[in-house]
Amino acid sequence: MKKFMLLFSILLAQIITANTVKDSIYKFTFHRMFLLDDECDACGCSANGGSMGFSSMLNNNFIGIRYVNQKYATKEGVFNNSPWTDENFNTTQIWARIPVSDKIQITALVPFHFNNRELITGKQSIQGFGDSTIMGMYSVFDIHSDSTTVGHKFQLGGGIKVPSGKYNAANNGTLNPSFQLGTGSWDYLLVSEYVIKKNQFGMNTSLSYTFKTENQQHYQFGNQFNYGSTLFYLLDLNKIKFVPQLGIAGEVYNANQQFKQEVSDTKGDIVFGKFGLEIGKNKFSLGANLMLPINQNLTSGNVEAKYRFSLNLNYQL
Amino acid sequence: MKNIIKNTIAILAVAITFVSCSKTDESISGIGNLKIEFENGFAGNALALGTATLPTSNTEVLKISKAKYIISNIVLTNENGTTFTYPKSESYFIVDEENPASLLFNLTNIPAGNYTKVKFGIGVDEAQFNLGEIGQGDLWTKAQAAGMTMSASWSGGYKFLDFDGTFTSPTVTNDTSFMIYNGKSGANYNYTEVTLSLPTNALIRTTISPQIHLSADLSQIIDGTNKISLTANNMMGMGAMIMSGSNLPLITVNLANMFSVEHVHNDPN
Repeated sequence: MKKFMLLFSILLAQIITANTVKDSIYKFTFHRMFLLDDECDACGCSANGGSMGFSSMLNNNFIGIRYVNQKYATKEGVFNNSPWTDENFNTTQIWARIPVSDKIQITALVPFHFNNRELITGKQSIQGFGDSTIMGMYSVFDIHSDSTTVGHKFQLGGGIKVPSGKYNAANNGTLNPSFQLGTGSWDYLLVSEYVIKKNQFGMNTSLSYTFKTENQQHYQFGNQFNYGSTLFYLLDLNKIKFVPQLGIAGEVYNANQQFKQEVSDTKGDIVFGKFGLEIGKNKFSLGANLMLPINQNLTSGNVEAKYRFSLNLNYQL
Repeated sequence: MKNIIKNTIAILAVAITFVSCSKTDESISGIGNLKIEFENGFAGNALALGTATLPTSNTEVLKISKAKYIISNIVLTNENGTTFTYPKSESYFIVDEENPASLLFNLTNIPAGNYTKVKFGIGVDEAQFNLGEIGQGDLWTKAQAAGMTMSASWSGGYKFLDFDGTFTSPTVTNDTSFMIYNGKSGANYNYTEVTLSLPTNALIRTTISPQIHLSADLSQIIDGTNKISLTANNMMGMGAMIMSGSNLPLITVNLANMFSVEHVHNDPN
């Protein structure tokens, strides 16, 4: 929490000191689908620093679908030579963003998970709806840029994650505690996003913190802090637009608790490098993202993230 | 700017309000069950009986064919400092690597509580031994069935540990058998106890049967605090037979350091 507050203050300070020249001509507003990307948690759909929905103008409605594939390896046992089990977390999400006013947007996300792993005792699969999220975002300021000025945009928001995904205590075992469809708990999010742009270049920095609560089985996943920064470039060929992206994304997890007791080997952190490309034509945009771990220490080394890959298709309503 | 700060504070306040709701403590009463799981390893790796070659710091290489030991006198310490002694007559367990069922103990009728420590013995203590064959209840027959008796008569005592296999070393180049039995030898009872703190309390409830997952590093038997050379005990090339004498107290010290707690599960029933 302290770490989060500190980073939050740094971000605020950054914004306060930033140059705020106003301009209204800027044609495209790069609005990263931040909420939709980062609401994910350690449960099946781990945070996915993901994509930048480049086709969405500030006041646009849109709806999209995204497929995310995450691969983990989990150690099945307590010994050095215990076997490693591959885990595949697949998620298909439907997301939508609906502006309520100039400054406020509501976003919603409904995921469907189909996860599987090869245990010594055989293949285990779980599938079903995951935890849905609804969030409100408020534009604190949005200063557009043209070719000579710098644009800034800062948004703050909060949301609720509903326990629509099933939590099954039996999946907890000694393996990856996140092999679940949902946390089984009502969780609360705080998010912030800052975008700075100049000409064709831009950078998006986002922070989020998820407060997790105890579920009915008295299990509580650890609070989670996500951070990420992505550099993007707009290549506009009139009919078609390309936005290549390069960035980092990180996650920090507090320890899980069971009956208010810390569960050993459940905290961790990870930093990914991410590469993405978005292509936009007419009302459609197609995105692909790949995240590769740079450094990780998940559950005391018993879980290893291999990669995350996503594909999304958005339609501007 | 004031707006930003105001909004931030407002959002934080809302979030903290959500998070700070929590229920009051339950009352703890009744009885419950506890499982203790043993997993045998060798110097950090899982134990594989048979062909796996396992080097020791004594420049010997072992192949293990048998690993059995007697666990006894289980005592649990509650977080309030009180202890619960599992009924002695029901407290003898023979862990046998070849028999998976023997690796999991099911302890029943334990007062509900938050337990912080587990203590147990390795072997049969003097008081139990002195009860004689009848007083020892079914321990003798159980031990006989598991091959954990030193001789045909109860007075010959028990094998607290039976650790067998073959070894090689720089001077013993052919696979040569070894057999290590720990037990009462002369006036030495060679019984020892180990107390392990639990990293997470075992929350025994009517509705929760915790499972304590222990690991045993069998390399400690001869390659622990005390180093026992099989090569030096290889009598006339007939194999290293360590079943009595001055090595046993050394092995007993090693056994006390063999166990550690991996984790505790508190999953609801």
